[in-house]
Amino acid sequence: MTGRPSGRAPRRVAVTSPQTRIALAGRRGPPVRAPRLTADELERAERVRGRQLSRAITALLAVAAFLVGVPVLLDLFPQLDDVRLLGIPVSWLAVAVLPWPVLTGLAWWQLRRAENVENADDATAAGGAP
Amino acid sequence: MIALAVVPVVVATLLIGARGVAAMRTTSDFLVASRRISPTFNAAAVSGEYLSAASFLGVAGLVVKGGVGALWYPVGFTAGYLLMLTLVAAPLRRTGALTVPDFAEARLGSATLRRLCAVIVLVIGCLYLVPQFTAAGHVLTLVSGTPYWVGVVVAGAAVSVTLALGGMRAATYVQAFQFVLKLVLFIVPAVWLLVAVGPQVRGEALNPVEFTQFPRDTVVDFTVDTRLSLAEPVTVRIDGEPPVTLPPGQHTAAAGERWEFPAGAAVPRVDGAEVPGSTRWERPLLDAGPTADGSDGHALLATGSVLMATALGTMGLPHILIRFHTSPDGRSARRTAAITVGLLGAFYLFPGVYGLLGAVLLPELYLSGATDTVVVALPSRVDPGWQGDLFTALLTAGAFAAFLATSLGLLLAVSGAVAHDLIPATLRRLRLTSLAAATVVVLLALPAAQVDVGALVTSAFAVAASTFCPLLVLGIWWRRLTAQGAQVGMLVGLVSSAGVMAAGLVAGLEPGVPALLLAQPALWSVPLAFATMVAVSLRGEPPSGATSAMLRLHLDESRPVPTRSRS
Repeated sequence: MTGRPSGRAPRRVAVTSPQTRIALAGRRGPPVRAPRLTADELERAERVRGRQLSRAITALLAVAAFLVGVPVLLDLFPQLDDVRLLGIPVSWLAVAVLPWPVLTGLAWWQLRRAENVENADDATAAGGAP
Repeated sequence: MIALAVVPVVVATLLIGARGVAAMRTTSDFLVASRRISPTFNAAAVSGEYLSAASFLGVAGLVVKGGVGALWYPVGFTAGYLLMLTLVAAPLRRTGALTVPDFAEARLGSATLRRLCAVIVLVIGCLYLVPQFTAAGHVLTLVSGTPYWVGVVVAGAAVSVTLALGGMRAATYVQAFQFVLKLVLFIVPAVWLLVAVGPQVRGEALNPVEFTQFPRDTVVDFTVDTRLSLAEPVTVRIDGEPPVTLPPGQHTAAAGERWEFPAGAAVPRVDGAEVPGSTRWERPLLDAGPTADGSDGHALLATGSVLMATALGTMGLPHILIRFHTSPDGRSARRTAAITVGLLGAFYLFPGVYGLLGAVLLPELYLSGATDTVVVALPSRVDPGWQGDLFTALLTAGAFAAFLATSLGLLLAVSGAVAHDLIPATLRRLRLTSLAAATVVVLLALPAAQVDVGALVTSAFAVAASTFCPLLVLGIWWRRLTAQGAQVGMLVGLVSSAGVMAAGLVAGLEPGVPALLLAQPALWSVPLAFATMVAVSLRGEPPSGATSAMLRLHLDESRPVPTRSRS
């Protein structure tokens, strides 16, 4: 395509990641558009985004259920203030202790799911391509 | 003497900062330390940066002043990382943008939008930095008797010199070191306090009694003019004068006065604060403050506002976002966020310990409003001897580490916004900008002695949640977002958060739903900003290549797409 006979050493070009190019462009004049994705990449990105979005929404609903649910329960059942576990009111434990294992667990769960989307897609793309 | 505890913290910060100088080459190095940091190390740095004076001192102080419900603040602070992990961490890292303004320009290609983002970074930075510096002043005043301004100036000098010498590479070491330091300096004294107070105080902490009578002769130093209401006559010595008997009714304690109450005297009530140990104080929900008619304080509304601001605001904090760019790729940025949730959880088990003990042992702080000092004041109240001094010194060092860590990151973000987004920068100019920014913040902090650390920091979260959160979430997940939509939406978010909070301060409404919605607008300002952004975007056309620009963020860059072979 370049008109050169094949077999000669390819021309050397400076290689930078697209991200670096954009980041540098911001400081050196007008912004450079991100390079277009190939059709394959577009297809894959679209697929990954769709799966990530649905998983993200489930995770958001879980977080919201916890952050809305616990205050509502504490408001509806003030008698939880008088139930004690090891001498500490259960309603205090619900805000001072319970959130940490719950949030950490949710974070771990969502991390695994998000990484699985990418791993699974790699596996399909690598093994399942015609 | 105890004030000397800050010296090793400052010196260590400076030394670790200086180590980074040799490796410093370009503006990009300064800002993101060349992006070679493992997720765990980076998560420690994120936590170190995030655990500010608001977490170290403010949460326990808010528990003393506002009740057990204040423990919802750290829940929101931590949930923010879960949302970050879910929605923005990996894609944002893949933009390669260094800051939110960079992201805005890379995604939407508008230089105006970039400048608007930089201005918002300045607003959030100031709201967050000023209380850090005031907290530094208060803690040093408490432990050493130095004037307030000395602590502010010392903090400002230490932070800006470190930044100018080392920048972010240094800051990453500093922040990870500071996280470990803060964790140890917070947990060890808490355990000692729990043991040293004995079973009786532990029991009282779990079964609080309303603070209606002074259990012993009590001295209260007022730092701001405070309105007190008395239900019965109280004899009090003011500034060492002979005792006077105040009749029931309203009285004002002027700033700088020292009131000495005898044991057994009735405790005056303070407007806008819960009496420690009262039934409402014990409820594990926030509320809008005691209303005049004693009606319900709209607990769910108040709790929801704080959770909305803190959880969604985290992803918009400029000093935290830039930290994710030190991860080598999107996946490790996501892991960083996940590990951070766990690290913060370990730290936030303990503010409640200080708060509950403080409500029993130092309830008088509720009168002077100086509840932010409760963490540092507890050890000497429990043990007046050398042990108390030792733990006061440890906590002072930890608190100082907390201001330093957060202030470093914030000043970097603020000087980045000025020198990188508003004016194209060289490394030299970026360093000078951070010095100038520190000076401005010190000057702002000097007259702001009376602000609550936790409250002002939460307003920074509200602004971030109403501006950057919709920009990031829609920019990453919605291809139809336009530059104009982002711009109008962020302006609406800025006005309905920062503008409305300022208006609420000026208006000074009585406690109630309107006052609550003005003081903590996140519950409506965030949905409003999202809705505006979507509505304006739908009326315009997204820039060409928007779909590709958005999809790129979801492409896992560490594993290049295998090329399909035709054979």
